[in-house]
Amino acid sequence: MKKIIFILLNLIISVSAANAQKGIDFSYNYAAGGKLLMCVDSLAKNVYYANVFPNQPNTYFSYLPEVNNLGIQIYFRKNINIEHYRYTILADNKPIVVNKSINKAQLKDAQAGDEEVFSSTKLGTFSIKDKIITILVYSIETPLIIDKSVFYGKLIPKAKIKAIGKRFTTEKGVDYSYITDPKEKTNLHLTNKDDELTIVKDRTEIDYIYYTSIKDKQTNKIIFESTAWQYGGHIDDTHQFSPYLKFDKSIFKKSGDYEIIIKPSSFSRYKMLPKEMEKYTTRYTLSITLEEESYTKKEIYSYGLMATFIIGLNFLLIFQAVKKRNKKKLAETTQQKNIAKLQLNSVRSQLNPHFLFNALAGIQNLMNKNEIDNANRYLSKFARLTRNVLDSKELISLTEEKTLLDDYLQMEQLRFGFQYKINAPADLDTENIEIPSMLLQPFVENAVKHGIAEKGADGNIEIDFKKQSADLILSIKDNGKGFDATKDYSGLGLSLSKNRISLLNTIYKETPFVLNIQSDTNGTVVTITLTQWL
Amino acid sequence: MRAILVDDEQANLENLQVLLSKNCPEVKVVAVANNIESAYDQVNLHRPDLLFLDIQMGKTTGFDLLNILGEKSFEVIFVTAHDHYGIQAVKFAALDYLLKPVDPDELKIAVSKATERIKSRLNSDQLNFLLNQIKRTEPSIPKIALPQQHEIRYVSVDDIIRCVADNTYTFFFLANGDKILISKPLKEYSDLLKPHGFVRAHQSHLVNPKFVKSWLKEDGGTLLMNNGDKIPVSKPNREMVKEVLGK
Repeated sequence: MKKIIFILLNLIISVSAANAQKGIDFSYNYAAGGKLLMCVDSLAKNVYYANVFPNQPNTYFSYLPEVNNLGIQIYFRKNINIEHYRYTILADNKPIVVNKSINKAQLKDAQAGDEEVFSSTKLGTFSIKDKIITILVYSIETPLIIDKSVFYGKLIPKAKIKAIGKRFTTEKGVDYSYITDPKEKTNLHLTNKDDELTIVKDRTEIDYIYYTSIKDKQTNKIIFESTAWQYGGHIDDTHQFSPYLKFDKSIFKKSGDYEIIIKPSSFSRYKMLPKEMEKYTTRYTLSITLEEESYTKKEIYSYGLMATFIIGLNFLLIFQAVKKRNKKKLAETTQQKNIAKLQLNSVRSQLNPHFLFNALAGIQNLMNKNEIDNANRYLSKFARLTRNVLDSKELISLTEEKTLLDDYLQMEQLRFGFQYKINAPADLDTENIEIPSMLLQPFVENAVKHGIAEKGADGNIEIDFKKQSADLILSIKDNGKGFDATKDYSGLGLSLSKNRISLLNTIYKETPFVLNIQSDTNGTVVTITLTQWL
Repeated sequence: MRAILVDDEQANLENLQVLLSKNCPEVKVVAVANNIESAYDQVNLHRPDLLFLDIQMGKTTGFDLLNILGEKSFEVIFVTAHDHYGIQAVKFAALDYLLKPVDPDELKIAVSKATERIKSRLNSDQLNFLLNQIKRTEPSIPKIALPQQHEIRYVSVDDIIRCVADNTYTFFFLANGDKILISKPLKEYSDLLKPHGFVRAHQSHLVNPKFVKSWLKEDGGTLLMNNGDKIPVSKPNREMVKEVLGK
């Protein structure tokens, strides 16, 4: 429809009528909607002609505030059954002409554009100042399609808001509450139960020309627009339905001032100045208070900062707690180690009587045999061994360990007369490699007592210090009669030694001590591997 | 070589006399004393080359005797049964000592060392150093005697950055940049310096934590020293080192 109007407009501007009358410029035709064209006062500057509206089909609205008189012509294409057409003219809603046919005798050819020739006739000349002329045109073939052209010579009134309402949920369903005849600034408190808002406008004959927008005054952004009015729910004093429109509460993201703007649409086509437009514009301010805010970026940022702070604080607290717990755990581990160390000390002192008294007996034997030099020598060996036990040093060097084992084995040699050897490869830094003291002693003692004691001079003990990549391997081999390594011997030495190694493993968790005992009738090999020790 | 033996137990005096006559015939025992008053007199009377000096003698100590003796023109070999404090002091002064019951072989070594020292006359300094260390009443940073071939360095424990083992020798790295080689195994100094906060980071490295800048994770654990040196930490020592550094 709109397209046709513009086509007509283009065609008709070039069409001229011959005679001038009552100051009307008949040489210039404006589209007036449907099949109508109009001519207006030659002095009229602002002619807002043939506006159409999305929700009002077949209606053409011409706003003529500066026009006194108006000439209307009707144009028909050649192929149209002109006799089927009727027209009605109203002046201020009062009919002047009703359902009149076209007077065929008055039809003249009128050229529009280059090619097409129309049949045209005048419908009349009207005074329009402060009046509204309405012309209805229809064909009796399609009487429901009525072209309605409105010529508005009055000042378009500003829209008035009759009521602002909100819908809220109740136990039964929904209910409404209204603020009637609101002031230019209205406070509105919205709770969680409110969901929909309504604006009710005053009823006019030209509701359809008004459109509504809602602007966020903080951001100056339009958050809602509507060109449509609904009728039905609201009745005014004259028992007519009032136009209203509805929108969702959710358009309001946060509390603050919002502006409801109602103004005539389509005039933008004529580049009406904003100052001029303001004459027709209605503005209401809604002061919205939201129970639950929806947040903007800036707010999210500041709240986010706060939340980050709080979360950070929590993390800090958790971190502190974890740290405390770790500290506690560490303290527990340290305590465990200390206990293990104490137990080791006690194990060390438990071990010594075994050889101390036997050694003393050996020295006694030398004295009785009058071997004074040897007695002296062995006595100082005995003293060194005893001192090592009493000093309860945690670590001793391999050199020191070798000396102690020499001392011990030489003393035992006095009693049993066996052979022994302590081997360390030249590339092993025995001076500086340390091992827990009294680590080998009990196994060597076992090798002597339970291994080679019975064999006398045939007995042989071989002790090896070896290096295998980063592991230190200490082994004690005897050629005794062996024992069942799987059995748990009550012999104090072995169980104490096993206990000692497990205690050492509590302390040196990352470098475990592995004890391996292999025994058969040909002898016994005890291997202690200090993994990753070097 | 003329020697005086000082011990409050008659049995010990007799034992040592027998051992000396059997093992060190060059030593002539000119006198024995079983208290420090008697020892004072005997020393002044005989002017011996060598003193075998018991540390604990009842309520008095061998150090007391040295204090009243003034000028010391003799070598001292301390002889003690079991005296942790005294032995520590003697070791700090790098002086020689024997443990009771005396081992004949150790006695021979000690006597030959003393003979060497008598020739070079280094000892009286060390004795005075020892007595000064013992006199210290207020807790202060101890010094340690580091005997080199021709001189003895007295170094504050705080000036030792670290020690490095070279078989039975030990290199000392000092805060003033000096590097000293001492002919004693690291183990000996590790035992002496551990009570003063030093850590054995590695079988070959003893470190003063005061000079440690940071713990590096490289190679499973490395200490970065203030001067940029990197010291490896061996696996068995890692936790202990962390513990000490964490303090």
